[in-house]
Amino acid sequence: MNRTATRLLIAIAVIGFVAPLLTAQNAAPGAKTLSALKNAPVTYLFPEQVNLPAGKPTAVALHFRVAQGLHINSHTPSDEFLIPTNFSIPEGAGVHLDSASYPAGTLTTLPADPATKVSVYVGEFVIQARITAARGNHLVEGKLRFQACNQNQCMPPKTIPVAIDVIGK
Amino acid sequence: MLRFPVRRNALVLSAVVLILAIFACAGWLNWKLRRQAAERTLAGLMQSEAAPEAAAPQFASALIGKPAPAFTLEDLHGNKISLANYRGRPLVINFWATWCGPCKIETPWLIELRQKYAPQGLEVLAVNAEGDEPAANEMAAHTRYKTAVAKFAERMRIPYPVLIDGDSISRSYGGLDDLPASFFVNRKGTIVAAQVGLLSEDAGAGKDEIESNIRKALSK
Repeated sequence: MNRTATRLLIAIAVIGFVAPLLTAQNAAPGAKTLSALKNAPVTYLFPEQVNLPAGKPTAVALHFRVAQGLHINSHTPSDEFLIPTNFSIPEGAGVHLDSASYPAGTLTTLPADPATKVSVYVGEFVIQARITAARGNHLVEGKLRFQACNQNQCMPPKTIPVAIDVIGK
Repeated sequence: MLRFPVRRNALVLSAVVLILAIFACAGWLNWKLRRQAAERTLAGLMQSEAAPEAAAPQFASALIGKPAPAFTLEDLHGNKISLANYRGRPLVINFWATWCGPCKIETPWLIELRQKYAPQGLEVLAVNAEGDEPAANEMAAHTRYKTAVAKFAERMRIPYPVLIDGDSISRSYGGLDDLPASFFVNRKGTIVAAQVGLLSEDAGAGKDEIESNIRKALSK
């Protein structure tokens, strides 16, 4: 009986610890201030590591998130002056970016200019990169360049690192 | 002999059911919150949660009440333009960039208001501040930059001076992290108002806010 009771207490304690974590993780984004969002307008989510057949072009889906309340131009913005979102991998890293396929942007308008449509990414978006890796382990630092705005104002263009551990086998 | 194992089994079974129920509730709640968060993110573009902070009625610049920091910049024709050239005139110093959507929205308002208040001597100085990372070939990049600014100014039919390389003076104006940013300067050369971004999401109200700040520059 003592052993059973002990197991039961441990199980309840574990649940009591895990359940709030499962539900509380969504409270954080809404609580962030605009200043905090501006520090990280776009976050690279995953993958951190990929295994590829060496020398063979392989598709890798790169997941990003635009901070709530902000938007960034899509890869094909509607105006020539707008800065497109672009992913790149520096040459000489043992990994070559053959191509990148971008999602279509969401067409929307700003309240102060309802006549002009802009093509933007909001929330999570995925870039399908086709990369070729040499045999071995490569710590690649890709780059995502973008330009973010909210309804009223814009931030200067920014480039963030996209760190991926690429293993060519 | 039988009662004890039966009670123990019932206890363990109850505990398992309780655990599963708690996990099911937590999972459902988590899924529901995630879905709400995703919906809020999509809706955020139209009704930004961050907007109230961005749309503060007045940009609390530390420069308000102080003399506008002096500068000398080139215009699109290569002429050196100094703030001192405009001594005695009310001014709007408008920092903008070609990639900035809200800047494009407010430019026609500035053109219209400049014309309206021209009899009182109002001038607008459009200071371009692209804020971009340095390019590998800086000379070629600067030529491209100047061409893009000129093309934008031509497309928008900007009749007032367009100054380039505004990033070099942005620090003295408080480090401009966001655009557009405007400083309203009175005849004495003092900054009497400042604003960052469109103060209102409604086009008419947005123009009115700028006009209200221009009137401060004209009256003080």
